Amino acid sequence: MLKITLEEIKLITKYIYEISGIYLDESKKYLLETRLNAIAEEHGCATYQDFFNKTKMDATKSIERKIIDAISTNETLFFRDTGPFQLLQHKIFPELIDARSSKMPSLKTNLKIWSAASSTGQELYSVAIVLQELLGDLSKYSIKLLGTDISDAAVAQASSGKFNKFEIERGLARDKLNKYFTPAGQTWKINDQTRAMVNFRKFNLMHPFTGLGKFDVVLCRNVAIYFTLEDRKKLFNKIAEVLEPDGFLIIGSTESLTGICPRFIPKRHLRSIFYQLK
Amino acid sequence: MNTMTVLIADDDPVIRKLFEKRLKNAGYEVTVAVDGSDAARLLDAMTFDVVITDLVMPGAIGGIELLKIAKEKSAGIEVIVITAHSSVDTAVNAMKKGAVDYLEKPVNFDELFLRLDKIAEVKAMLKNAGDLREAMDVTESSAAQTIQDLEIINSKQQVLLDRLEAILGDSRRDEYTRIEQALHLLEYR
Repeated sequence: MLKITLEEIKLITKYIYEISGIYLDESKKYLLETRLNAIAEEHGCATYQDFFNKTKMDATKSIERKIIDAISTNETLFFRDTGPFQLLQHKIFPELIDARSSKMPSLKTNLKIWSAASSTGQELYSVAIVLQELLGDLSKYSIKLLGTDISDAAVAQASSGKFNKFEIERGLARDKLNKYFTPAGQTWKINDQTRAMVNFRKFNLMHPFTGLGKFDVVLCRNVAIYFTLEDRKKLFNKIAEVLEPDGFLIIGSTESLTGICPRFIPKRHLRSIFYQLK
Repeated sequence: MNTMTVLIADDDPVIRKLFEKRLKNAGYEVTVAVDGSDAARLLDAMTFDVVITDLVMPGAIGGIELLKIAKEKSAGIEVIVITAHSSVDTAVNAMKKGAVDYLEKPVNFDELFLRLDKIAEVKAMLKNAGDLREAMDVTESSAAQTIQDLEIINSKQQVLLDRLEAILGDSRRDEYTRIEQALHLLEYR
């Protein structure tokens, strides 16, 4: 495996920060080597300096995309932590639907939900499943589920709606698997109705949130942990801007907004926490 | 040591016997089914790591149907299909439908044992990964609980602090009243 020098680590972590906002320090040497080695070798680079030069010169930005795909790959599961999904099913969605449908009973009830770092889509599909379980017939609702991620590869896999058995077995109960997925060879494919509820696209959370509109629920779980404190503050301030005044924010179960964004107030429901604007 | 449980489904009693003997000698726990329907019944009653099934069997449930039943029961059950040379296309089709492997008749047992070893290896790795994940989940949920408790406590303290600041900074009142109010708030919070 190609060895990385301290100088090269500085160069490359700075570059990764610039393109993705993901902050890695010198302690992540092993992670850099294991995740970038294959790309560097594929492009015939003898050193990471060489790799860095090639990446910077690449006008098509294809190496840059590969680096983002490699660095941003993270653990994601269907119904990862049951807490947030129970929270959505038993607290957040019933409250939102009450609030939204009472205003204009003749119109469809609108709901907009954003999975801000959707990875390969498991979280957003889980939300779509929760909504179907809770509401049954969706014809009275206009539901928009948006999933965004910085990785092209993750967005492409999420869009395909296909998951291999390792991705699917954990977290997803057998009855839900059979109800919402169909076997397609060695993979399982989400059913058309669920697929039609969601949209995935590439988005860098460091960029301005213009054009996204407002959301009733934002899920931003286990992504800010890769950002610097300053960038976390910026991120949650931007999320506060795109959240409806009575909307809900869900972050990772081991994350905290203390000292990050005073505009949010934490609230507890059973064993989970959600945030609302003050 | 081979500790996997294997279900053999084949309508030919000679082949059935042969499989049973060879696999038992190799240390596997073996159950035999005389056809697809029998195998489906056994799948319902017991759990198996691996199903080895003939692709063509008489009755309503053939090899492909049995594969489907096994996979619906648990995605963790691995299915190997046994096929005559003439039906290799069907065997490839079976793999598309989730079979882990196929073997042509007459079955080469060395080959079968190699495939079973590989399956056992993957299962062991998956179990190991599963155990690690479970340990991670326990750690994570206990950390989550602590962090969430702190988050709520901190938020309450912040509200109190905001109110104290408002009281103490209220220039319309004299200092004595402000301090008195602040102390009152602290006492009865």
